[in-house]
Amino acid sequence: MQDFCDWLAATTLSQFFAGQDWFVPTVQTLHILSIAMVLITLGMLDFRLLHLTRRGPAPEVLAGRFIPWTWRALTVLLVTGALLIITEPTRELMNNAFRLKMVMVVVLILLTVTVQRASAREPGYWNASPGRRRLGGALGIASLVLCVGIVAAGRLIAYV
Amino acid sequence: MLSWLEHRPFAIAIAESTWLFPITETVHVLALTVVIGAVAMMDLRLLGVGNKDRPVSEVIASALPWAWTAFTVAFIAGSMMFCSKAVSYAANVPFRIKMVCMVLAAINMLVFHFFTARGMATWDEGRPPLSARLAAVFSLTLWVVIVASGRWIGFV
Repeated sequence: MQDFCDWLAATTLSQFFAGQDWFVPTVQTLHILSIAMVLITLGMLDFRLLHLTRRGPAPEVLAGRFIPWTWRALTVLLVTGALLIITEPTRELMNNAFRLKMVMVVVLILLTVTVQRASAREPGYWNASPGRRRLGGALGIASLVLCVGIVAAGRLIAYV
Repeated sequence: MLSWLEHRPFAIAIAESTWLFPITETVHVLALTVVIGAVAMMDLRLLGVGNKDRPVSEVIASALPWAWTAFTVAFIAGSMMFCSKAVSYAANVPFRIKMVCMVLAAINMLVFHFFTARGMATWDEGRPPLSARLAAVFSLTLWVVIVASGRWIGFV
């Protein structure tokens, strides 16, 4: 992996990005703005799944409305994240906080796909039975924990 | 005054501890992303980009508690970081730009709340008037600059 990092860091593209002082903070700013979109859409949905917010549309309605925005923001996150890796490969790819973050990102994506698919199945899906309510609550908690973990691991890349 | 602040025991603790600063910074980032997300959700509804089928008042009512709760957390965490290096932050240009933009965002919000939003009943379900859309554009622009300048504090 270190060989790959060295190769990537030596490419013209990586050298070009690394040579621009404004590049990393600008891309990080776009990355943070997209995280904002992911956190608010999933946060509101998760709180609804957990019945922490009782008013407002049903969870499956929120899922239909919000998750497409989550995916849009995630696309920007993958692109800006890839640019940051190209610019400083060793800082990211060899970092344990980064690796943990990527594992959590994959799990969160799978979990969100599950919530999106289940929500599209039928109106009232998440309140149809006590089992479904418990499932929704469990998915909501898991999603919140992953969101917090991903942001924390992302920030800690700079410190470990 | 700033130097006095920097020498308070809790400020020294943050500055000297290995983990207190990164943890405080992580809490700050987590809270501020929630603030931006909630603010963007309200602004994008005013601009007719998202949540078009929901009344403006309903979108604001659902997003505002998130924005204020997260802002309180971000403010406390931000103040803690400021105290640990008050003199150098106060002299940092991106930090100053960030503070000015926060004041402007607060004024923009107050103008919207006390003047523009008064007639909300007439456009709650439809397209907000130009004044409301302008408030949303100002708000989004200011918050983008706040994030960017905040990120730049560590790069100058």
